[in-house]
Amino acid sequence: MDQTITKDILRSELYGGERPAAELLYSRYSGMLYSYILQFVPDRTEAGTLLVDIFSRLTLQLQEAFDSSLSVYCWLQVESRKIILEYIQNKGQADGPSSAELAASNLRRGPKTAALYFLLLEDAPPEHQWVFRELFLYGRSKEDLALHSGKDLAYVSRLLRECLGMIRKNLG
Amino acid sequence: MNIELYMQSGIVESYALGLATQQEVDEFEQLLPHFPELKDALLDFEYHLELFSIDNEIPPPPEIRQQVEDRLRGVPALPHSTRREYRRHGPEYVQAKETSNHIRVHKIWRSLFIAVFILSKIFLILAIYYFLQYRHAEKQASQVQAPVEKKN
Repeated sequence: MDQTITKDILRSELYGGERPAAELLYSRYSGMLYSYILQFVPDRTEAGTLLVDIFSRLTLQLQEAFDSSLSVYCWLQVESRKIILEYIQNKGQADGPSSAELAASNLRRGPKTAALYFLLLEDAPPEHQWVFRELFLYGRSKEDLALHSGKDLAYVSRLLRECLGMIRKNLG
Repeated sequence: MNIELYMQSGIVESYALGLATQQEVDEFEQLLPHFPELKDALLDFEYHLELFSIDNEIPPPPEIRQQVEDRLRGVPALPHSTRREYRRHGPEYVQAKETSNHIRVHKIWRSLFIAVFILSKIFLILAIYYFLQYRHAEKQASQVQAPVEKKN
């Protein structure tokens, strides 16, 4: 995996300013992050706007990437998810249903997406997919999910643990 | 602490995917320097996740790059103090467990090695050439000196 950007490479690019660092991050990770965003926001135009927002915001927070225990790519993903969830929340507050209503409707709808990480959970039972989707895509806490769905917290935790095990296994 | 059990709880994956709570993140980061197996598990997961993401990447529309550039042009540069901070810290070294008998070095060493190898061969050839020249000259000198000594 020669194209992986290490923190040292990124740091040396940053000596030249934010633009070369952003250029480097964009050339390597834009496709991966775009695909990541599409899990949350299936509309491509909207996903593109989010990608611009993510790159312009995260380029200014690169010190956090250096301080993090995560790799550059995982740090980008984790921070992107925060931005995406913030966007979805703001959008939801403006024109969408409440989080409880959303969770209830999601539960009824069953599996929604087959994008990226959900490819790793294709063989998982629908309830596992539902737990992962609620926690990962909608950013809900296990406690909140257990409370609103009437399930036991330990049960939700177990399903999540099993989902994460499946992801690790399917990644190879 | 039973680290195996801790890892089986899915904490590594939760941490890498951003699903861990702040409390779980703090605990994980405290344990990380003390348990190399935890670090190995994280590196392994990150590596496979990145490979998977590379396989499933979707190129964004071309105009997005320009939009990012435009947005960054309007943003003030990082303060110099922050840049100095980057420089002061120097390169970051990661504690890595050695698992391979091979080492990876910068590509520049390949060209340097080839240059040194070629130069060494040139010097060797020159050394042999001059040594033979010297022997030849010495032989000639002794041949010239022999009749002179005979005359004396």
